[in-house]
Amino acid sequence: MLEVKDLKVNINDKEILKGLNLNIKEGEVHALMGVNGAGKSTLVKTLSAHYDCVVTGGSITYKKKDLLEMEVADRANEGIFMSFQNPVEVPGVNNSYFLKTAINEKRAYAGEEEIDAMDFLKLIKEQTAKYDLDKKLLQRDLNEGFSGGEKKRNELIQLLLLNPDLIMLDEIDSGLDVDAIKTVANVINSMLDGKKSVLMITHYDRLLELIKPDYVHILNDGKIVKTGDYSLALELDEKGYEGIGIKDETN
Amino acid sequence: MRLIELEGLELPKKRSEEFIKVNFEDLFSYDFKNTKTYELDIMGLKVVKDEKNYGNGLFNISKKIDSNQVVLTINSNIPEPICLIHKIKDDETFFVNSLKIEVKENVKASVIEVFTNTSTNSAYSVNRNFDIEENANFEYAKIQDINEKNYFVFNADINQKKDSKCKITNFEYGTGVVINNYINTLDEKNCDYELNGLVKSFDASNTANVIRTTHNNENSISNINYKHSLKDSSRAVFKAISIVNDKALYTKAFQNSNTILLSNDAAIYAQPHLEILIDELEASHGATTGTLDKEQLLYLQSRGISKELSYEILLKAFEKKIYDNIEDTLIKEFIDSYKRQSYV
Repeated sequence: MLEVKDLKVNINDKEILKGLNLNIKEGEVHALMGVNGAGKSTLVKTLSAHYDCVVTGGSITYKKKDLLEMEVADRANEGIFMSFQNPVEVPGVNNSYFLKTAINEKRAYAGEEEIDAMDFLKLIKEQTAKYDLDKKLLQRDLNEGFSGGEKKRNELIQLLLLNPDLIMLDEIDSGLDVDAIKTVANVINSMLDGKKSVLMITHYDRLLELIKPDYVHILNDGKIVKTGDYSLALELDEKGYEGIGIKDETN
Repeated sequence: MRLIELEGLELPKKRSEEFIKVNFEDLFSYDFKNTKTYELDIMGLKVVKDEKNYGNGLFNISKKIDSNQVVLTINSNIPEPICLIHKIKDDETFFVNSLKIEVKENVKASVIEVFTNTSTNSAYSVNRNFDIEENANFEYAKIQDINEKNYFVFNADINQKKDSKCKITNFEYGTGVVINNYINTLDEKNCDYELNGLVKSFDASNTANVIRTTHNNENSISNINYKHSLKDSSRAVFKAISIVNDKALYTKAFQNSNTILLSNDAAIYAQPHLEILIDELEASHGATTGTLDKEQLLYLQSRGISKELSYEILLKAFEKKIYDNIEDTLIKEFIDSYKRQSYV
């Protein structure tokens, strides 16, 4: 589904990713771990065409297409979803209107008919009830005045309704209580149908306990330096980065 | 007829601090073929001579050409806004119109005015007096949609008695050269004055808002709030001065201008200004200028919304606060459904 080859990315003229390789197949769950500043967020930001990231080398192929040639919105409509670490507040834009617009843009991209208001409300009701997500969030303006937890729940609502193929979670567990992390895991696990893939960035084992990754990658100084299965995350949790032979190159 | 050649007419000087950066040189020197009084299509209104001395020279233009002033008196509550539509059709003509709206004691009333044109090289100079009596509540909305190669001068003089409320909302949509000139001297207690404006400009439009508010008595509020979204090579001026004199204890005086520049050639000159002679008050002023928030744009696009639509959504969100401030739901509906082609 996604093939990243020798990816080099600069932010503010500083090289952050220094030849990263990653291959994600359909249905796989990948976890990306690493010390602060290793380049984890830069990778997912690059995949979603963040304006900060300047690709200076390498290639990214997604569903056999050159991802780097695609606009931000097209990447989303092709099925890439990035859950932001700290979603921006957008006062004056109603959350429900925003979500309905996003769904309809995706439908238009796929040559499908627009969702009507009744079907949209039905879909919201079904999906939010299933995971006990507060649908009142949809009556407010997009992320405006939301607590950290509410912002993450709102990302989950979007994730459920936009139903992407590649789910990228950038520290979705940060600042969440135990119950909220369980909700995140329930949503993700329920979406895993053998075709959807996940790339999640996390610092903690708790989320990985609940969403078992097929692969765990350790990123250090802009490159993946170690790959293993879930046991690598457990080892890391026990011994720390230095204990598994990773020297922090960022300082 | 050239305004600069009219005998006895004292026009604002280019160098005058009050009108700094306001583009009226072309208007003052342009040779109009005709002058006309724009007649309102309402029967039976009283007509008086306008004898008032105004706070600046722009009011004198209409007065000089025709000193008659039509008086619209609102004696009792009106459930629906009075709607006045002005359409300027004749080319090369300088139009004038003067209207006093009197809102009597304890009365709640609202008025909408729409100014449009199909003319070329014409000008429309409009004088408005809003006399709002004790405990009256007046809401006024104006849509200015005067297109290129035309001038529009809108002068409003507001007189509020104690405990009255006056809320004015302006929608500046046109592409012509536009000067709005607002003067409110709050001589009485407990007055509430709110002046809002949305300047949505494109092409080479040039829109100036010159606002003078003076607090001379206790416990009054003035709240001036403008939003500009400027495309292409459009220009805007926001020049607001609020003076709080020594007897105006416990005044609340606020001024705010927010601007989004949507092209490299668009420009704003924003100068909110407070002159305060007392300590016992609440006051603030501010002006921001920028582009659309790129983080917000990215967020919308990252959910599949195209760049163009994301721009549109964020612009609407920026403008929304001005619409939301309108109290009268019928005015809101009118503004929401406004389309230029319905009026020209």
